[in-house]
Amino acid sequence: MILAHGKVYEDSALPQLLETLEADCIRAIASQSITQEQVIAACDTLGKRIATGGYDRILRQFMADFQISEAHLSAALQLFSRESLEYKCRMELGDISEPLRHEGHRDIRRYRYPLGVLFHIAAGNADGLPAYSVIEGLLAGNINILKLPSADSGISVLLLSELCKIEPALADFVYVFDVPSTDLDSLQRFAAVADAVVVWGGDEAVAAARRLAPINTKVIPWGHKLSFAYATLDATDKELTALAHHICQTRQLLCSSSQGIYVDTDDRTVLEGFGRRFYEILRSVNAAYSPVPLGLRAKATLELYNEELEQHVTGNTVYRGDGVSVLVTEESTLTLSCLFRNCWVKPLPREQIVPTLKGQKGYLQTCGLLCGEHDRLPLSDLLARAGTVRITGAGEMSRAIAGEAHDGDYPLRLYSRIVEIG
Amino acid sequence: MDKRKQLFRHKHPYDLQGTEQLFVEAMAQNAQFQYANCADYRRICDMQGVNVNSIHTMEDVAKLPVLPTLYFKHHELFAMPRERMLITATSSGTSGKMSKIGFDVRSLLHGLSMVLRVGRFHKLLSLVPCHYIILGYQPGKHTDTAFSKTGYGFTYMAPALSRTYALVWKDGTYELNLEGLKKQLRRSGRSLFPTRTIGFPAYTHMLLSQLKEEGVSMTLPRGSKITMGGGWKQFYAQRVEKEVLYQLAWDVLGIAEKDCVEFFGAVEHPILYTTCEKHHFHIPVYSRVIIRDPDTLAPVPHGTLGLVNLLSPMTMSMPILSVMTDDLGVIREDCGCGIDSPYLEIIGRVGIQDITTCAAGAEQLLKEV
Repeated sequence: MILAHGKVYEDSALPQLLETLEADCIRAIASQSITQEQVIAACDTLGKRIATGGYDRILRQFMADFQISEAHLSAALQLFSRESLEYKCRMELGDISEPLRHEGHRDIRRYRYPLGVLFHIAAGNADGLPAYSVIEGLLAGNINILKLPSADSGISVLLLSELCKIEPALADFVYVFDVPSTDLDSLQRFAAVADAVVVWGGDEAVAAARRLAPINTKVIPWGHKLSFAYATLDATDKELTALAHHICQTRQLLCSSSQGIYVDTDDRTVLEGFGRRFYEILRSVNAAYSPVPLGLRAKATLELYNEELEQHVTGNTVYRGDGVSVLVTEESTLTLSCLFRNCWVKPLPREQIVPTLKGQKGYLQTCGLLCGEHDRLPLSDLLARAGTVRITGAGEMSRAIAGEAHDGDYPLRLYSRIVEIG
Repeated sequence: MDKRKQLFRHKHPYDLQGTEQLFVEAMAQNAQFQYANCADYRRICDMQGVNVNSIHTMEDVAKLPVLPTLYFKHHELFAMPRERMLITATSSGTSGKMSKIGFDVRSLLHGLSMVLRVGRFHKLLSLVPCHYIILGYQPGKHTDTAFSKTGYGFTYMAPALSRTYALVWKDGTYELNLEGLKKQLRRSGRSLFPTRTIGFPAYTHMLLSQLKEEGVSMTLPRGSKITMGGGWKQFYAQRVEKEVLYQLAWDVLGIAEKDCVEFFGAVEHPILYTTCEKHHFHIPVYSRVIIRDPDTLAPVPHGTLGLVNLLSPMTMSMPILSVMTDDLGVIREDCGCGIDSPYLEIIGRVGIQDITTCAAGAEQLLKEV
């Protein structure tokens, strides 16, 4: 399905729409603009219609198919509300949302303008995310071309076409195409029209976007990230329990999921004791959650059993059972865990935080910090210097709050430019 | 007394009950040999508290260290000096990591005896010469993967009149020889002698579809067969298309479903598994399969899904007497084809593909084993 100029087309209309895409975008840039208020009002109306059952016929089936809970839906709807979006614009654009007069030169003003055209390459890891990426582009005033992820459920076209119906001014600012990642010709055409390629996905997707984009097209990557917990020896059982819940809930699949725990020690015996302690907590917390599918448990079991066989070389210790495990290792590199409730425990004395983590630049995201009050500020500062962009309490690593920075950036700023006139 | 020799010469290839004690004793002998000659195996036995001198029952055999195929990708384990190994084969790792496995002469001779017995049982062994269409690499110094070797070896099941390869070495690279294959098949259609094709199911399917598209419809001489083998993972990926493939074989080459035979064997478990007329892989006397719990690795009863542990005393050159594959499978007993031994059904691979994640590197990790 294709969405263009507010209308839904069959995929067969692609060649004809591609033909006029650039001219259509240029015409819209030259003669039309949209306001934040138009976007916010349309989103707010749409969100309310969804919440009051306006789309239940389609939505209920979709939620059943993709196992989306009521709570998940209402959290997502909250992000589309007027309150959240206004706060987001205020937070992200702040002082650049109004024209600024230059202090020294009173006749010079600085204005925020949209970049122009954004080409969004969406990932399939969160339903609604492709549409949300477009809404961010709209809030900054851009024309948006969205390439749907291969496993798209159809919800993005539905949401965005409804949005254009509510506010017809948006119609020329939203294009959605369902072209496969292998259709390089079409993708290159989109990238050539765009001022920036906004890419969601792993290293491969980001690298592909960089190859796709002409030299004068920006690439704005929302890549995959790694997160971890950092604990001093003061970490309480309560904190460790909260962390265990987070690991069981997210199954370590999110970029904000903790892959393991760094411990503020260089003493192997202490580290081992900490690993055992967390293993017991994780095991008991996990008992309340539904088990991970068999094939994934089997995969982790194989890898951990292999770890045990290799102990003589690696010196690692494995604590495993009841669907969880803790791997204690002396090596300190930030790595992915075996996922699905299998985490690592590694030593990282605080003076080693910056040297060790700096090598992972660009991949660092959230750190759940488990420590006494007196340590919280100095450790947060070290973690921030190392490149971490969000430092939270043990159980809050995957929280989502309106107006927060995304991987250390404000998207609306990245989708804007500053123009000086005078 | 070499128990292994007795086992591999046992007259009925599917007499599991009648060979149980022999199997246990051969496994015990193999384990003792590995313990004495392979330091890493000895270390693992000691670590797991296994005494190789007290293996008397199948329960004891189940307690022998199980080495995952993953372990062979990181370690080269040999119980003999390299120069005693006749063939080294590498398993084609999907993740780019290869395991190197070596076989000594006596182990291979036992393997040959097995192949002859299994081949005779399934009427694959024949004195009538035939033409071979091999849907794989032409063997040479450029290729070391197990398939090209087993594929070539298989052409001795019946005397070869000709061997035509799908992938031939030309100008420094392998090329798809589709024209050559088609030409040979047309010639085969007129020949008095039967033809056998050998290859991965996926390749076989591709060739048959291509021929069908070009309107080919012939009846190859009686005794012609489609034989398919290769890595196991090809099998379940292609399962849905099996019925289609049998139909294609009939439409294009006039080969009946019962003459479409599959076989498999992994480099780490070089035992020839061959399908019965109902397309099931029965466990032959040279091998035992233990399905293990995905969490505890403890053996589970027949009919329960779990990790596939393959056991065989065939190979002395390496401790591959008990290996764990990356497959999930189940043992079933309800075939009804007349072979008493239970059969192994591979259900899939550990891990799953269509998981959604945004943790860095996780997509790749979930694909690999």
